Amino acid sequence: MSNAWKLMKIMVKMQLSWAGKSSSEKVGYVIMAFALIPFGALILFSLNNLIGNLYNALEPTGNESVILALFFILMFVIFIVTSIGTVLSSFYFAEDVESFIALPFHPYQIVLGKSAVPFLSLYGLNALILLPVLLFYGLHSSAGLLYYLFAILLWAVTPVIPFVLLSIVLMFLMRFANISKNKDRTKIIVGMFGFIFAIGINVVIRLDSGGDGSGTADLIREQNGLLELVTGFFPTAYFSSIALTQPASVTGVLYLMLMLGLTIGFAILFLTVGQKIYFKGVLGLSGGTRGRFNESKVQKTIKRKPIIYSLWLKEMRIIFRTPAFFTQIVVQSLFFPVFLLVILFMESNTSLASLGSLLTQLEGKKLVLGLFGFTLLSVGMTPASFSSISRDGKSWFNHLHLPIAPQTVLRSKIITAFTLNLLTIAILSFAALFLVQVSFKIWLIWLLLALVTNWVTSIGGLIIDLYSPKLDWTDEREVFKGRFIGLAMLAIEATVFGTLILILWNVSAVNGIWVTAAVLLTFLIILAAACHAGLKRLSDKRYYSIH
Amino acid sequence: MIELKSISKSFTGKHAVKNLNLTIPDGKIFGFLGPNGAGKSTTIKMMTGILPIDEGSITINGVDITDYPMEAKHLFGYVPDRSDIFLRLKGIEYLNFIADVFQVSIEERKEKIEYLTKSFGIYEALDDHIQTYSHGMRQKIVVSGVLLHDPDVWILDEPLSGLDPKSSHTLKEMMREHADRGKIVFFSTHVLEVVEQLCDEVAIINHGHVQFQGNMTEMKQQFQDDDNLERLFLELTENE
Repeated sequence: MSNAWKLMKIMVKMQLSWAGKSSSEKVGYVIMAFALIPFGALILFSLNNLIGNLYNALEPTGNESVILALFFILMFVIFIVTSIGTVLSSFYFAEDVESFIALPFHPYQIVLGKSAVPFLSLYGLNALILLPVLLFYGLHSSAGLLYYLFAILLWAVTPVIPFVLLSIVLMFLMRFANISKNKDRTKIIVGMFGFIFAIGINVVIRLDSGGDGSGTADLIREQNGLLELVTGFFPTAYFSSIALTQPASVTGVLYLMLMLGLTIGFAILFLTVGQKIYFKGVLGLSGGTRGRFNESKVQKTIKRKPIIYSLWLKEMRIIFRTPAFFTQIVVQSLFFPVFLLVILFMESNTSLASLGSLLTQLEGKKLVLGLFGFTLLSVGMTPASFSSISRDGKSWFNHLHLPIAPQTVLRSKIITAFTLNLLTIAILSFAALFLVQVSFKIWLIWLLLALVTNWVTSIGGLIIDLYSPKLDWTDEREVFKGRFIGLAMLAIEATVFGTLILILWNVSAVNGIWVTAAVLLTFLIILAAACHAGLKRLSDKRYYSIH
Repeated sequence: MIELKSISKSFTGKHAVKNLNLTIPDGKIFGFLGPNGAGKSTTIKMMTGILPIDEGSITINGVDITDYPMEAKHLFGYVPDRSDIFLRLKGIEYLNFIADVFQVSIEERKEKIEYLTKSFGIYEALDDHIQTYSHGMRQKIVVSGVLLHDPDVWILDEPLSGLDPKSSHTLKEMMREHADRGKIVFFSTHVLEVVEQLCDEVAIINHGHVQFQGNMTEMKQQFQDDDNLERLFLELTENE
């Protein structure tokens, strides 16, 4: 066990170390922490209100236990969802997996060590959400000391079972479903999971909203009736809730014991399964797949292309083939338009469909400024642009010894970010023209605004990344993780475009659709030109000195 | 001819290379030796335009790398000391990209790609992602890319590391043929046997200075006491 402890310590140290983090990153974390204080206070305040109101409403029918159950279920789901990515990357995709296998450790010891960081992050969430919930519930129900004792124990064991369940499922999948052979594809599926989950939930909620809820009314009348309904699929939530609502009774103590026993049982199961099958899923992970050689196919791909096209193609291939880039750049930027599309489809026969005709009734200036704001939301944040340089990582130096002019390399990167956003613009155009039935004139104005904004943000992101790139990564996710470059871009955009919108809104000389659009476009074109000039100056200074 | 005239480079006030002079004549295989941290990589990076030069100048076949970088870069091919680059591209895509950069005609690239990759035994792996290649295969694809546009000057940083004996032999033969055609092969290595076997001329660098430059006969004459290159190297690079 001491080996397992050593492994856990070393892995936590490696993951959470501040070594190698730039001072700007450290300052960023501190600023972020301070920025979160008021936000956190607001959430705690609402949580307290929510629990108080629910308690007052449910207590008369003896159904107050459902409040706790709902939060235990919520935690269960959160733990499962957040663990998928962290467990897979820690157990299977981390670069150090193979180096630990060569050392004289038992599989269960490595599994334990590998669990340390994902598990600790669960406790972070647990402390942020469940701890205040348990406290607020205790206060509202005027609970005694025993409640708090039970609450602390249950709080401590809550993350164990979902974590173990998920880890075991993943270990089995990696062992038997052979998905480890397609490491990249698995990573993409995992990366898209959150995206699909969010849209799926949305669809389910929308489909489900038609019920009349009469069955629920009956359940409320009997004590704990609601609890049994809600916790049907989550027995641990049921046990925990009962233990906490009746701490002084035999039932309460029994359920607490049951939870503690189950947790220990699951921990043993985790170690046993880890010992038996973890290595089998890991071994051969780094092999990768090789296809059958097809000579004529290869010969056909030998073509001569202009260098800018060749560079662009290289960028696109790398983005689409690297799981971290694909999910962070392509999937993330498609989230907004696809989400919007789903909502529009689901609501096609309601008020949203008549949005098109509503838009024409708006005053010209407000309409154009509104469209511009919408454009910023949809194409303003371009991860492809603010990762332009950093994506190259240690391969960046190749641009320096090859005879390619810096301006050509940078231009290819701008075009890459621009093309990726075209997909968003295309989806939104489809939604605007066919689902919302916006008039052709409004769509055309929006399209022009979107294209020029896309160009400006593509250069802007590149400038920020060129100014402060991160090239010394070992895992592609580091290009986005722990960097405040996205936030910096958002802040700059909010300042520049926010001021612009505010000024145009208040200047009475600018009026009507065409005048406002023309003024806005002129400004954007001037901004694009200024960005180009800025980029030229920065690249003269920085291009050869970043390493 | 490659000429390095009084070049210096420092990082945060510390000299990595100081006032270094080196002339590499045509038609030679030139070995560049030195212990770890001696300034070899820094020098090579300045020669290839990766690092800006603080002082001095470097010309490749008469073209200054600082003043005319594009023209100079067309003259050489560079094999870096790391081969884990462009991992997400397929072998053939990488070679096509390099050929596009150097504007190699379609006929020539077809012929060269086939010849080079078959010589190195990686032809049948061309349609696979470089990520699935072994270290040696990655090295071979990078070397193939460099030789694709038939540059006059080859600058190779540890080119033989990771190569199997057959490919190592092939590359050494190619280096010899290239030098015999009156062109330059400049390469750095830690393997002294290779230097003895292959080089027409060597330079030994330590602490950012050239400690010795000359051909193998001169070197042996100068250090008659040392019966082998290893002892000589150790003597030259001993910490002063």
